[in-house]
Amino acid sequence: MQSTKSLWLLRDCRTFPKIVRHFQTTKPHRDPHTSIDPSEVTHFNALASTWWDPHGPSRLLHLMNPLRHDFIGSCRAAPSRNQERGLRYLDIGCGGGIFAESAARLATTAHVTAIDPSSEVLDIAKYHSRRDPILMEPGRLSYQNVSIEGLKIPDKDEERYDVVTLFEVIEHVTNPSAFLDQVLPHVHPGGWLILSTIARTWTSWLTTKFIAEDVIRLVPKGTHEWEKFINEPEMRAWFTRRNGWTDIRSMGVVYIPGLGWKEVP
Amino acid sequence: MLSRFQIRLPSRKLFSRHTFYRVQRTYATQTPELYDVVCVGGGPAGLSLVTALRALSATSKLKIALVEGQDLCRNRLENVPNTEYSNRCSSLTPASLHFLKEIGAWNYINASRIQPYHSMEVWDGVSDSRISFDWASVGMPAAKTPGEDSNIIAYMTENTNLTTALLKRLEEVGGISIMDNTRVSNIELGQDTDTLDLRSWPILTLSNGRSIAARLLIGSDGAQSPVRNFAGIESRGWDYNRHGLVATLRLAAPSSSINPQTQLRTAYQRFLPTGPIALLPLPGPYATLVWSTLPSHATHLKSLSPPDFLASVNAAFRLSPVDIAYLHSIPSGQTSELAWRLQHTRVDAARVPPEVEGVQEGSVASFPLRMRHAATYVGERVALVGDAAHTVHPLAGQGLNQGQGDVAALVGVIERAVREGADIGAGMALEAYDAERWAQNNMLMGVVDKLHKLYSVESGPVVGLRSLGLSAVDKMGWLKGFLMQSAAGVR
Repeated sequence: MQSTKSLWLLRDCRTFPKIVRHFQTTKPHRDPHTSIDPSEVTHFNALASTWWDPHGPSRLLHLMNPLRHDFIGSCRAAPSRNQERGLRYLDIGCGGGIFAESAARLATTAHVTAIDPSSEVLDIAKYHSRRDPILMEPGRLSYQNVSIEGLKIPDKDEERYDVVTLFEVIEHVTNPSAFLDQVLPHVHPGGWLILSTIARTWTSWLTTKFIAEDVIRLVPKGTHEWEKFINEPEMRAWFTRRNGWTDIRSMGVVYIPGLGWKEVP
Repeated sequence: MLSRFQIRLPSRKLFSRHTFYRVQRTYATQTPELYDVVCVGGGPAGLSLVTALRALSATSKLKIALVEGQDLCRNRLENVPNTEYSNRCSSLTPASLHFLKEIGAWNYINASRIQPYHSMEVWDGVSDSRISFDWASVGMPAAKTPGEDSNIIAYMTENTNLTTALLKRLEEVGGISIMDNTRVSNIELGQDTDTLDLRSWPILTLSNGRSIAARLLIGSDGAQSPVRNFAGIESRGWDYNRHGLVATLRLAAPSSSINPQTQLRTAYQRFLPTGPIALLPLPGPYATLVWSTLPSHATHLKSLSPPDFLASVNAAFRLSPVDIAYLHSIPSGQTSELAWRLQHTRVDAARVPPEVEGVQEGSVASFPLRMRHAATYVGERVALVGDAAHTVHPLAGQGLNQGQGDVAALVGVIERAVREGADIGAGMALEAYDAERWAQNNMLMGVVDKLHKLYSVESGPVVGLRSLGLSAVDKMGWLKGFLMQSAAGVR
């Protein structure tokens, strides 16, 4: 069945110079039926307690969150038949809930489902959401400790989501292609898939691996694996080959210390 | 899990050396009413803030409460003849005016009681070097407010005129729980219950027995700020050992400060070694006096008969510091002393304010002058605006305007947070407000403080140097224009 879906793509861009590689699986994995890499889950479990520390390793994620909303807002500026009712969000790999909480607070939101395979991080997310009575309203925000495979594939359109978000996740999965194949069915016709990831360039190696992990130790070693980063043309090409996905947009951003996240024109 | 009969230890330091209320560490037996914004203090800053939040569409759905200890109706400007003016006036900059127009409050101002002025004469009481501020001479525009006269430096406004306008606008927009005649008896952090974790939420116990919780608690509660104390934020500064003496005066007619053709008005400020004396125009033949001087002088001036008091004011703008000091030392007779000394003093009538010939009964009052700056303007679920955040010397007319600037910045930060789905009380959301305002206010207060210290020197090389400096700035149009734009809040 042909259905028109819009894909929006948000990426982190380190501009000079770029290395173009073919889109491929980079690592063998144990279980071909799951996207989860256990080493990644263990790693994020260890980061759980610092997730909501505004001056901790997750500070850059907190600072990036407003940009995510700006990007989604610019997408939604185009008229859509979903405007009569509230929006339904699915946040995959929600972590401590930085985006999930912020989406749940918006007046235009009906419901947010947020999933993550790490139980410890999800506990932190649930614990943190108890601070805000809006988030505790029944049906507003629900966390589930599952991977994308654990979510039932919807039969009816009503079960699909208007906005499916995948922020800083795809660079942590072992087989991105198969993973995205499992994500796509959850998007409502006319809805959006929005994801963000880090580009694979010398600059991103320098900033996210060398400086952030080795030199200033902003994040623990092993937080990112450079080989798993994906470049925008690769992502765009993948979606172009898929039926029913149109209107691919992307935005590049870079973090400048002292100034924050800035869009790269 | 603690049983209900155990006392919980507070998770943060709740009071500094200056405790204004007894802190109660009791277990809350009922859930307090939850508000998104609780603003403590109904002065110009607090009223502007809640009005702005209701006027902007993004923030208009927030649940807001305003808590004020006094009766908000009591200080309203109602049916006062235009021959009487309050002695608490402020000089509103174009930036403040612009903000008040944006939130719709300026429509309710009593315009007949506002006096815009177009130039300012400032001179050194010891050396007579002077500087004249007016937009035309520096060739720069003032704030580009459509329809406004771009020659205006500032607008002299009674504080009650401003608060009444804000109250009227607040009544028009509605939707706020206004709790006046209500004091805050206690502020403490909430508890972790089965349903909600309120341990980061400030809970206020009010004198009417109600208990309210704030997602964001805003302290616009003045220089002593109980909210600032609750947040454990230190306020640093010093006392100037000066009092600000205020009065409402009537100028002698015909007034040379009013050009009949153009109706341009001038403000005057003379720097005496004991402190500056300023005469700021009000509508008609009236003016407001702000005289910063030693506490003993202020007491003495308040004790004088009206004619002697007026003579002292006229003397302060015309005679030498030595003569003025003598007049401060005699219990009466300033009128005749002034008349005699004027015969021997050369005064350029065009460069001093017109003589004052009348003082409004009951309007002579004084208050101590100090400089205070809070160490930070934000905490978890706490923000400070206005005098709670900073207190400044009145010599540059900036105090109330800084408060309005704080409010504009904080409202902008709250609005952005709402649009991004952030928790408006979270430290991450609020830090932008501190970043925007703290350094700017600090610099302004530093400059004002140094001006005060610079002009307190009575003799010696400093006098010569500062006079040279002042004359130099007077001649450098670009620098003078830059200073004027900074003071006007447009840079």
